[in-house]
Amino acid sequence: MAEKRPPRTTGPGNDEFWQGCAKGELLIQKCGKCGHRPWPVVQACEQCGSDALMFEEVSGKGKLASWCTFERPYYGELMPVPYDTIVVELDEGPWFIANPLGFSNSEAQLGMPVKVSFIDCEDTQGAFKLPVFEKA
Amino acid sequence: MADTGMLAMPPSRGEYSRKVSIVGVGETDYAKDYQAERKRPEGWEPPTIDDLCKLAFDRAVADAGINPASIDALALHYTFGGPDPEEMTRHLGISPEKAWVNGHIFAGPLPNIAGRIMGGEAKTVAMLFGIGNRSSGRQFGGNTYSSGMAGPSSYYYYHPWGWSSQAAHWAIMATRYFEKFGKREEDLGHVPMTVRQHAGMNNNAIMRAPFTIDEYMASRYIVRPLHLYDICLVNDGAVCLIVTTAERARDTAKVPVDVAGWSESYITQDKMRVMVDERLRPQIQAAGQEALAMAGLSIDDIGHFEGYDVASIHLVNQLEGFGFTPDGTGIDFAIDGQMTLGGRIPTNIAGGNMSANYMQGWGQVPEIVRQLRGEGGERQIAGLNASLSAMTQTDCVHPVIYTRGE
Repeated sequence: MAEKRPPRTTGPGNDEFWQGCAKGELLIQKCGKCGHRPWPVVQACEQCGSDALMFEEVSGKGKLASWCTFERPYYGELMPVPYDTIVVELDEGPWFIANPLGFSNSEAQLGMPVKVSFIDCEDTQGAFKLPVFEKA
Repeated sequence: MADTGMLAMPPSRGEYSRKVSIVGVGETDYAKDYQAERKRPEGWEPPTIDDLCKLAFDRAVADAGINPASIDALALHYTFGGPDPEEMTRHLGISPEKAWVNGHIFAGPLPNIAGRIMGGEAKTVAMLFGIGNRSSGRQFGGNTYSSGMAGPSSYYYYHPWGWSSQAAHWAIMATRYFEKFGKREEDLGHVPMTVRQHAGMNNNAIMRAPFTIDEYMASRYIVRPLHLYDICLVNDGAVCLIVTTAERARDTAKVPVDVAGWSESYITQDKMRVMVDERLRPQIQAAGQEALAMAGLSIDDIGHFEGYDVASIHLVNQLEGFGFTPDGTGIDFAIDGQMTLGGRIPTNIAGGNMSANYMQGWGQVPEIVRQLRGEGGERQIAGLNASLSAMTQTDCVHPVIYTRGE
């Protein structure tokens, strides 16, 4: 059953990202001019200003860079506390905020290898696949 | 363009150093207002921005010992709105030639106003900041929170993963710091504990009761690993600064406090990595060095620091970034008593954002003025000549250096 989640950011660029997730692909922008990989989605390259941005599938592999556990119900019943969030340093460079899958922050270690997985979720705009990370 | 509160600042040039001085400061009764809001006795109504600003203004004028008619410009700074200039000047009972609504948080307004004074736009300016943070029930996280900026912001982008709030930014910095430098929560606890001890010396601090490390560890988490005591307060209040030319300041009753240096630096890309891994070190270093160069000082000349302790770990980031202590040693520095009276750099000596008040950076200035004048009472730093303030957010830093006027 799909987990109810707070709303995604959608619109130009973001829609391509979520369409990738729907196919089980983690798509990250890459600048056609300088090669920089911005995340989250931008409309112009934050490094060189170019708008020649394209989405490219990344490996989905990375390592744990940090984590924190929410103890205050900022999202009410949508996200019952406590719940874990993690920061993953993707092998391609960007730092990606997500949730752990199949492990908890009490087992987290800096540099621990992880890989992407997609879970069924639902927000106010409907069903979607959310990228999360499990131990690699 | 979205009003981000970041005001255009004159360049950090030595020729602009010590041309403008602070001659008066006024603050509201943070502690009293906070207690009233908590108890909400029958008939209680939150103070209005108008009344908070009026109180701070009257106190600043009295502190400066000037005739309010000599104020020829009013600069209004509201984070969440307030009366327009016409209404406010009427409320304050003054009729300045000019009135500006001029940004909000303490990221640039003082250099900006210094630039206007140096440019001849005004001679004596009352700078007013007012905020009804607490009585409005404002939350700094969750579904409805958006920074209002056009681009993706870390404050709302990660909603689907349940990640938002100011506190979460500081929490992921703290986790990585602990892992990288072999520290624990109970080590970090010494930072807010020291700031709380400072608040014990300030009658207008909201939270004055000291706590032990055991009590710190037993306190609830906001975003783990950060506890309640690691995070700043949310309160209502106002701050007023009376600013004039350094020349005129020499004719006022009290020791003038000169605005000696300033700078700013922003994260321009890879925000998450720079924020979590580097903890804004490149930005803090760059802006700090530029502000010091403008003031003609070195970090060794700075005897007092008012950092933006929106969270304990971020105060550590600033102590390290500005060079008071090497990278990775800020927590040990606090444990060793180096950020309190008698240590290398008395820091947030009136209780900072975590224990005294949260005025979005403006609360740092009145204490700097008191200290440089020698009005610090039991918390006075002996022989002080230069202080540093820093408004340090998740992606930018705005340091200002102040010196005791002759």
